[in-house]
Amino acid sequence: MSLLKRLYRFVDLRIGVGEITDKELTGYLLPRNINGWYSLGSILLFAFALQVVTGMLLLVYYVPDAEKAFQSVNHIMNGVPYGWLIRLIHAVGSNTMIAVLILHMLSTLAMGSYKSPRELNWVTGFLLFSLVQGISLTGYLAPWSQLSFWATTVATNSVSALPVAGPGMVEFLRGGKLVGPSTLGRFFALHVAFLPLVIGVVIAVHVFLLKRTGISTPPFGKGDTKNAWQGESYRYESHPGGIPFFPDFALHDLSSILIYLAVLFGVVFFWPTMPFTPDAFVPADPFKTPAHIKPEWYFLANYQTLKILPNELLGLTVQGVAMTFLALLPFIDRSPERHPLKRPLFLALVVTGIVLWVGLSVWGHLS
Amino acid sequence: MNMLRASTLILALLSLMLPAGSPCAQAPETVCIQCHGSLQDKLGAPVGLWRTSIHAENDISCNGCHGGDPKDAAYAMSPARGFIGVPSEVDTPGFCGRCHPGVLKDYLSSAHGKALGNGGPTCVTCHGNHDIVKATLSLINEKSCTRCHSFERARIIRDAMQGTEASIQGIGERIGGFQATGVDTERLAKGLFAVRNSFHSLFHEVNVTRVKSESSRINAELAKLDKDLRAIEDARERRKVAGAIVVAGLLAAAFLAHLLRKSFEKR
Repeated sequence: MSLLKRLYRFVDLRIGVGEITDKELTGYLLPRNINGWYSLGSILLFAFALQVVTGMLLLVYYVPDAEKAFQSVNHIMNGVPYGWLIRLIHAVGSNTMIAVLILHMLSTLAMGSYKSPRELNWVTGFLLFSLVQGISLTGYLAPWSQLSFWATTVATNSVSALPVAGPGMVEFLRGGKLVGPSTLGRFFALHVAFLPLVIGVVIAVHVFLLKRTGISTPPFGKGDTKNAWQGESYRYESHPGGIPFFPDFALHDLSSILIYLAVLFGVVFFWPTMPFTPDAFVPADPFKTPAHIKPEWYFLANYQTLKILPNELLGLTVQGVAMTFLALLPFIDRSPERHPLKRPLFLALVVTGIVLWVGLSVWGHLS
Repeated sequence: MNMLRASTLILALLSLMLPAGSPCAQAPETVCIQCHGSLQDKLGAPVGLWRTSIHAENDISCNGCHGGDPKDAAYAMSPARGFIGVPSEVDTPGFCGRCHPGVLKDYLSSAHGKALGNGGPTCVTCHGNHDIVKATLSLINEKSCTRCHSFERARIIRDAMQGTEASIQGIGERIGGFQATGVDTERLAKGLFAVRNSFHSLFHEVNVTRVKSESSRINAELAKLDKDLRAIEDARERRKVAGAIVVAGLLAAAFLAHLLRKSFEKR
């Protein structure tokens, strides 16, 4: 018996590795008509892990002090061997992660995978979407550049439009009347400790829910596309005769992750300024407002909505209503039909929503 | 109830993330500009001229040169608040030299400066008084110089300096380009600043031999900066080659994984 086999037998006898492999990998069956969109969740897990690892590496040299933060980032970019690569992977990675997250949500919408019994999967997914936006926003301040400083000033300022508690909330967020060293301390703590922990926990809940409900069957390539779950009792959606997760779909996941990495590295090496404007490389100056500070692309639609509506409170309300509608969609849309082409009203709403979001984002970018 | 709490939490979280409003806040105008800007006569003309100037571009307002209180209309022109007003012809170089002491020194030692008070030009003769333009070689031109003397010698000086100015401008643009992409250009920018200052000190020099020898020295300094910039450019190119290899490798690996999956499907 080879050493490797003996080692495996030693571990297997004690913790039953073979049983886990059978149950979770080779014996974990997925629907036969599963498609590439189902890999987006695995890509997101990988992307989040990559952000955590690159973030940890950046922490080795980053100094969360308003006096030293900009210089420390400058040192990472220019003095630390491959520091530029780590920082760019982290900065570009936050953007690509949000793009994949949006695609993941859109595919879930299109395939009706949010429908019962998967309401909680959707809600936790939506919560993750919000948390990832939050972690991106708090990370934005870290380099303490003109872009960081003023984008944070603008973003935190919008909270002041909330009635009664607004001004107090702004002061609480900033740790003072204005964005300053206290804000950096708060955002840094949120970015590297609180939010990653919360995101990790919500991811665990999201995956737990997925394991308990089972993978949904895509509504494509089959006659009956209606949701079969009646809501009488708990039922795990198994897929007898399906394809095994390992090696079949694991290879598909691997292929998708490698393509994701190719895109990420393509941007890092050939379009390294994608996440930045020239103001990102100028130290923060509270006395000099740059001419055109705009939020990241995924906040542009929100930004433009607030600009075109007569007051900020109305803008916040409209966005709050839209986001709440999206968060609670599984409880609003109770129709059993899952195929997008058999849901014309829903499809029209989704397409309108996408066109509106893209249109507002482009308008916000050009304005 | 729990869902209500969840949606409230989501709303609260979202409200924390929404960016808003116009980020661009213009600095309020000084009382000098508010008053003079509304005047149509010669007292209002400087405002329009100033708006096109290098001073306006760098936020140097009326009080930067003329003194006074730019926030208090009643005392804006009070000598007690440092108002100087318009300098006389002979006081003009000293007036500008408060902020440009190096240039003042160069000017005073030049043929132009030595003729101050005897029909020689002051700063505003060539640079303008309110529509002050950036100091470049274009200021040495036939139309301007022939107001006082022939253009012959000025042309030789300008031609000797022209290539150097183009190099300084080109290197400045390259440094700016790198700075805008996160490269630490502080040392290079300081080097260029020193070279540019040396070069500008020649702007008031009328000794052709000195202009030529100084231009050679400055060009040698510029060549060193150019070499450093080329090193950065080469590093960038190498990164792109490495990037192409990495991306191609990842795509090939993705394709292999895909083929492997297909082989399992057939099995």
